[in-house]
Amino acid sequence: MTITTELTGWTGLQFFGRTTASVSHDLKNALAIIKENAGLLNDYLLMAEKGTPFKPERLKIVADRIDQQTRRADTLIKFLNRFGHSIDEPLATVDLNEAVSLLAALTQREVAMKQATLQLSMGESPMTVKTAPFWLLTFLGHCMTFSLKALGPDKILRLQVEKVKEGARILFSPLSGLQGAEKGGFPGDAEIALLNSLNAACHIDPDAAMLIVNLSNR
Amino acid sequence: MAEKILLVDDETDFLEVMSERMSARGMEVTTAESALEALDQVEKGGFDAIVLDLMMPGMDGLETLKAIKRKRPELQVILLSGHATLEKGVEAMKLGAMDFVEKPADIDALTEKIHQARAEKMVLVEKQMETKLKSIINARGW
Repeated sequence: MTITTELTGWTGLQFFGRTTASVSHDLKNALAIIKENAGLLNDYLLMAEKGTPFKPERLKIVADRIDQQTRRADTLIKFLNRFGHSIDEPLATVDLNEAVSLLAALTQREVAMKQATLQLSMGESPMTVKTAPFWLLTFLGHCMTFSLKALGPDKILRLQVEKVKEGARILFSPLSGLQGAEKGGFPGDAEIALLNSLNAACHIDPDAAMLIVNLSNR
Repeated sequence: MAEKILLVDDETDFLEVMSERMSARGMEVTTAESALEALDQVEKGGFDAIVLDLMMPGMDGLETLKAIKRKRPELQVILLSGHATLEKGVEAMKLGAMDFVEKPADIDALTEKIHQARAEKMVLVEKQMETKLKSIINARGW
């Protein structure tokens, strides 16, 4: 095993751990709300037993909340499952629009913690490349973390998927705070190792205030 | 007299249901969806305890705890977390939290902690008043 493969492996594990921790945090929040609403229904029952009236429409509100949070938890699990399966095949035809949507879903907590807003601009379907699905997500996850630190004061991050002659590219913009962030050295060793595995390239365009990831078939 | 509680969490649905359950248990509940909103409320004063989510966008729970303790050192803060590690718990206690509870918290256990928080706050306020009185007496040479 080379240093590059070790670094890639470790980076992937870290991303896997960080992502599952983040999604499970949101899952726990959804479950906490469901639990408390179930408890509230018990409170209403106790009130009724003691002869204290309560408004029946409150039951509808509680039922709607439980339904909404159950759907939320289900969606989170669906995305976590897709993420888990991304490691199944070392090489696969990846729909980049779907990959970016999955990335957005997996990083929604990270985006929220930065008080940022994510906007997705998808390319015309199908937009596919043959690549390593898990490592692509790991690399894009690193791009996301870097980009969230380099946002301007309006805190809007736009992800754009575009077809190019050699394959496709994904743009992270506008990174108005790039001046300082560029000095932080992206891509670093971990990202370079991932790029080598993916046969991909990335560069920062400070004038256009964007991070550009170029992907071609492996 | 009802305990006055400030409930702080970025999840609106959680705030709504907790607020209703706590009110049904005789508490007077104010809610805040962010650290900044919470600090504004703390400035207004009058709370016996604060129940504060650890992971919030912007200023996180521990930073918020520090800021609360600077403004109102007598206020008792109970931290809520989806991932309560020993390390975080120790850090929270060192920063002055009264307790550190993992979500989802049992409402009866939380209510009991709030009763304790109020009692502790009253002891602290009495001590503060005693210290103030002593300094006035000393200053006047009585």
